[in-house]
Amino acid sequence: MIKVSNLSVRLGGRQVIHGISLEAAPGALTAIVGPNGCGKTTTLKAISGELTPEGGSVSINGRNLMGLKPWELALKRGVLPQSTVISFPFTVREVVRLGLTAGATSDAKADDRVAADALEAVDLGGFAGRFYQELSGGEQQRVQLARVLCQISDPVADGEPRYLLLDEPVSSLDIRHQLTIMQLARRFCERGGGVIAVMHDLNLTAMFADRMIMMKAGKIRASGAPRDVLTDETMEAVFGCRMQVSAMPAAGVPFVLPQTATL
Amino acid sequence: MPRSEALDRGMRLTALAADIRAEWRSGNRARLARVVIALLVVFAAATFVGSIMTGAADASLSNVVRWLLGANDADQVLSVRDRIIILDIRLPRAVLGMLVGASLAVSGVVMQGLFRNPLADPGLVGVSSGASLGAVLLIVLGSAVFGPLFALFGFYALPVAAFIGGLITTLLLYRIATRGGQTSVATLLLAGIALGALTGAFTGVLIFMADDKQLRDVTFWGLGSLAGANWTKIAAAAPIILLSLAVTPFLSRGLNAITLGEAAAFHMGIPVQRMKNIAIVSVAAATGASVAVSGGIGFVGIVVPHLLRLVIGPDHRYLVPASALLGGTLLILADMIARTIASPAELPIGIVTAFIGAPFFLWILLRGRTNMGL
Repeated sequence: MIKVSNLSVRLGGRQVIHGISLEAAPGALTAIVGPNGCGKTTTLKAISGELTPEGGSVSINGRNLMGLKPWELALKRGVLPQSTVISFPFTVREVVRLGLTAGATSDAKADDRVAADALEAVDLGGFAGRFYQELSGGEQQRVQLARVLCQISDPVADGEPRYLLLDEPVSSLDIRHQLTIMQLARRFCERGGGVIAVMHDLNLTAMFADRMIMMKAGKIRASGAPRDVLTDETMEAVFGCRMQVSAMPAAGVPFVLPQTATL
Repeated sequence: MPRSEALDRGMRLTALAADIRAEWRSGNRARLARVVIALLVVFAAATFVGSIMTGAADASLSNVVRWLLGANDADQVLSVRDRIIILDIRLPRAVLGMLVGASLAVSGVVMQGLFRNPLADPGLVGVSSGASLGAVLLIVLGSAVFGPLFALFGFYALPVAAFIGGLITTLLLYRIATRGGQTSVATLLLAGIALGALTGAFTGVLIFMADDKQLRDVTFWGLGSLAGANWTKIAAAAPIILLSLAVTPFLSRGLNAITLGEAAAFHMGIPVQRMKNIAIVSVAAATGASVAVSGGIGFVGIVVPHLLRLVIGPDHRYLVPASALLGGTLLILADMIARTIASPAELPIGIVTAFIGAPFFLWILLRGRTNMGL
């Protein structure tokens, strides 16, 4: 369980997160959505330990983040940042294996297999020998995800669930790979791990997330199952545009079309 | 029998080459890197011995070896003159060349890793100028102002002064160019130019104040040379250089991780701040010690790592030792050129490395404009 209680963050003198609390349970895909600049990424950075909060606390499996060393944290959670530029000529294989920085085993064969599986999982099977710098943006994003999967290859380790923190994991992907990656995150949860993802695509979120947290201006405005969060009222309150939320008849998964909007 | 043995060895080599090619295609350059390092060890040893045998005077190395091994007819095989030329002139010079070359190349690698950019080089971004300023301050103001420093450090005073100059410059540079874990390369290079000019101006003031003897000493810094190599200088610089070289292998994983950004390195389990502190101090120490004993020798720190990255890739676990070996070897070769091309006169080695390095640097720029992060 990742537990955030009463978290406040100040960036450059400005308070950007105002005392939010949330829980991300193992086995569940928790999505954070909201308008640009509402503090989604900042929240994720505080959860990853990258930002020191001004107030409140974050704990992971019952242990306060502040008391954990970087390498201890690295064995509990992996983090996918929004975009990663590398100015050295690494091959895809080398980038993915950087994920083994904290958790490399002495078994070279096993490490090789973990890296190969991670690439396979993001649909980049034949890409090991390519140069990272020569890939497209979407391919680079998937290589980074493979790197994170290489770090957190098993959803559960030593009897403890592990977590993936993903900042817009599908932002530069084509629709097929959006589905591939969301399914991958979903499977990670089904196998006992936990996922927190910052998302932009509300429909994709509604389709895959177990819990949806909607933020506005550094506060949580709504949270719960997608069908409870994604309503006409919250859409208007959070995004400031009147929209009509519909639902797929069969599964009851809500969706919203931009065509219904009035600004 | 020997024939089939040779055949056998040939086949093993062919198999190894095929393996390496196959691994390279799947993005795995680890074994290639290890083979390259092994070859560099041989190359370094050969160059080292070669440089001891080359020179204006005709002194035979085999006689020295026999003398060292305690041959009975020692005094006949080796004249006193030969002994001095080899043991007190050429050998310290080769040792110093190896140390300084390795230190310049490794400082380049570490700094480039830290700033996440292949153009960051202590010589290029003003760290060497800062170190020179420290050294020149000590030479000119000397014992009048720095008496306690001399008293405390003895003949280490000069490397220590250069180290402090280099450290201050590196810290300033890092402060200016890196915000929130992201380094702006344009800011880095421009700040380097500004800091270089500033330290240059201070050095100018000191030169203005200097007397004739100090002026000669100071001019030596600008050119860069191994000509004054002796065992005292080695004793002053070697501990500092070796210590900072010994630290770098432990930075390799961190340097690899930090190429994805400081945040990503932290996510992967690297204690980023501590690693950066160690890296900055070791770069400043290695650069300071090198500048103190050999003046400003440019371009080794940028050419050597770049060449090696083209061949074995940027993995610092291999890049650091390979750079140390190739840096040392190339500097000895440059020194051989410097002392033979205008023989019996001698060119400062800084001129040789600039003639080779500067065009190479331009070639890097032409070739990889899009990959420099500018």
